[in-house]
Amino acid sequence: MSELRQSVVVQRMVKRYGRVAAVDDVTLEIERGEFVTLLGPSGSGKTTILMAIAGFVQPTSGDILLDGRAITRLPPERRNFGMVFQGYALFPHMTVFENVAFALRARGRPGEEVQRKVVEALDLVQLSPYAQRLPRQLSGGQQQRVALARALVFTPHLLLLDEPLSALDKKLRADLQLELKALHERVGLTFLYVTHDQDEALSMSDRVAILREGKLVQFGRPRELYERPATRFVADFLGKSNFIAGTAQGGDGGTLAYSAGGLTLRQAVAGAPPAPGAPILVALRPEKIAVVADTPPDTANAVAGRIAQWSYSGTHFQLLVDTPAVGRMIATVPAWRCRIEPATGATVHLGWDPDATVIVAEDASADSPH
Amino acid sequence: MTADRLAQVAIRGYLALFFAYLFLPLGVLVGAAFNASRYPTLVPWEGLTGQWFADLLADRLMGEAAWNSLVVGLGVVAVSVPVGTAGALVLSSLHARARTLLYGFLVSPILTPGVIIGIATLIFWNRAFGVPGGLMLTVVAQSSFIAAYCMLLVLARLERFDRAQEEAALSLGASRLQVFRRITLPFLAPALYAGAFIAFLQSFENFNTTLFVVGTDTTLPIRLASMVRQTMSPSVNALAVILIATTVAAAAAYEVLRRRGR
Repeated sequence: MSELRQSVVVQRMVKRYGRVAAVDDVTLEIERGEFVTLLGPSGSGKTTILMAIAGFVQPTSGDILLDGRAITRLPPERRNFGMVFQGYALFPHMTVFENVAFALRARGRPGEEVQRKVVEALDLVQLSPYAQRLPRQLSGGQQQRVALARALVFTPHLLLLDEPLSALDKKLRADLQLELKALHERVGLTFLYVTHDQDEALSMSDRVAILREGKLVQFGRPRELYERPATRFVADFLGKSNFIAGTAQGGDGGTLAYSAGGLTLRQAVAGAPPAPGAPILVALRPEKIAVVADTPPDTANAVAGRIAQWSYSGTHFQLLVDTPAVGRMIATVPAWRCRIEPATGATVHLGWDPDATVIVAEDASADSPH
Repeated sequence: MTADRLAQVAIRGYLALFFAYLFLPLGVLVGAAFNASRYPTLVPWEGLTGQWFADLLADRLMGEAAWNSLVVGLGVVAVSVPVGTAGALVLSSLHARARTLLYGFLVSPILTPGVIIGIATLIFWNRAFGVPGGLMLTVVAQSSFIAAYCMLLVLARLERFDRAQEEAALSLGASRLQVFRRITLPFLAPALYAGAFIAFLQSFENFNTTLFVVGTDTTLPIRLASMVRQTMSPSVNALAVILIATTVAAAAAYEVLRRRGR
């Protein structure tokens, strides 16, 4: 089996539609058995990349490699990739059994083998009792599982999933996320998943590739992306972030001092700090802010402000705080240890440590905000 | 009497007139088929008879015409359904401009007067290739516009086709031919049956195009026209009764099957 688990490489792929580049020079290396997610808003090119790997989109330039061999010109029916489509694309006139058997029958496998493999695949997704039903007689979640079984039954080189959970309701989606991850571990196949849902991407993937306007912005493990976003876009798209624009002053002992809104703030740096006078952009996660009522906190960074708005969601409070120094900040505080009584107009102090923030780059683009 | 009531009476009266206009001639026609009078008329009523049906069955020319109509109808179905389907498939794979252009081109035979199609077919095939008028040429002439009806039906069905199904089948390793045979064709089946049905009906009742290309052969509508011109025998009415009964029965059967299928 293991020699069938190929690694896929997207090499300098470009896809233009007229003058618009849907995918603009993207390189991705996916390892055997990995669960990789392409994450981005609509129009980021993620689906185009998936379709190019599947063979339905011909790249304008660049190559798709499977195990080091270019398959860019190979038609989809000869790639041996399983695919789960957004609307499942089950064959409505065939029973569940026939849907799953389709790939084996197309390959002219003997009846005994078809029977055995289809039963195995249906067992894998716990749908054996439904073999003789038609797709329209199944729930959305069950149809989803049929689509999975159908795409796995012929032991494909890899499994491509195009927003497979987007048509389901929230509760079912969460269940199926866990199931998909478990399935990935059981079959050990390379999964390439496309979604615009950051929660899905973070909770299931080994690695996530973040795309924006056809370009690959950052590719890494979920935790790494969340904790150390490379650009403003990544910090903003994966979860929420406050942004503080400042000017570097000087660094010593792994800490950089920078000025923002008349305050001096501190930022932990690993390598060489930015030169004094250079503009920097710092991202700060709302949950990394400590909120206290009376005296400034004893953290390295402290900013005072007034609560403009607040909301309660059971697990936490979300506060919108207007500060004279760094503008409006969002802070989320776990409800069970919130040390203040939120009230609109109340004065609060926000505090955070130098290693709570991260320096990010502005995204290079004509229409990025400045 | 209020204005509302007046309006209601007026609407009902209008409806009664409308249905009388539609069905009274048919009623007279059917009644006359069973009247013993030598002329196709309801009054004076000279007694119930099945004579005109017996005459009809004994009419060899009529039998031959009916057979020809059946053969032409099946021929038209055999040509129009595949040609129309192919046209629809090509259209649905094209984009904006080319699609509009080809659509107009393919639909134009429906808008062309049947007489023109008949004459054009005769001139083209007879003058240029020496093909004589006859059943063969009738199939060709009728198909040239009936195929467009089939195309419209298939196209309407294709609009609702989830193309991802074809992509799914390809990703599962099916060849293009397998995809067409096992995915696209089964989806199109209802439109193909409807197309065949409509093509046959269109062919069966066609007169003006057929007249020019049928040569020395004869089809049912042609034979009927010449009968009406020559004599006024109630056996024409008998034939009409049979056609009405067949049509109604076929429509009812279709509806029953359709409901059972859903």
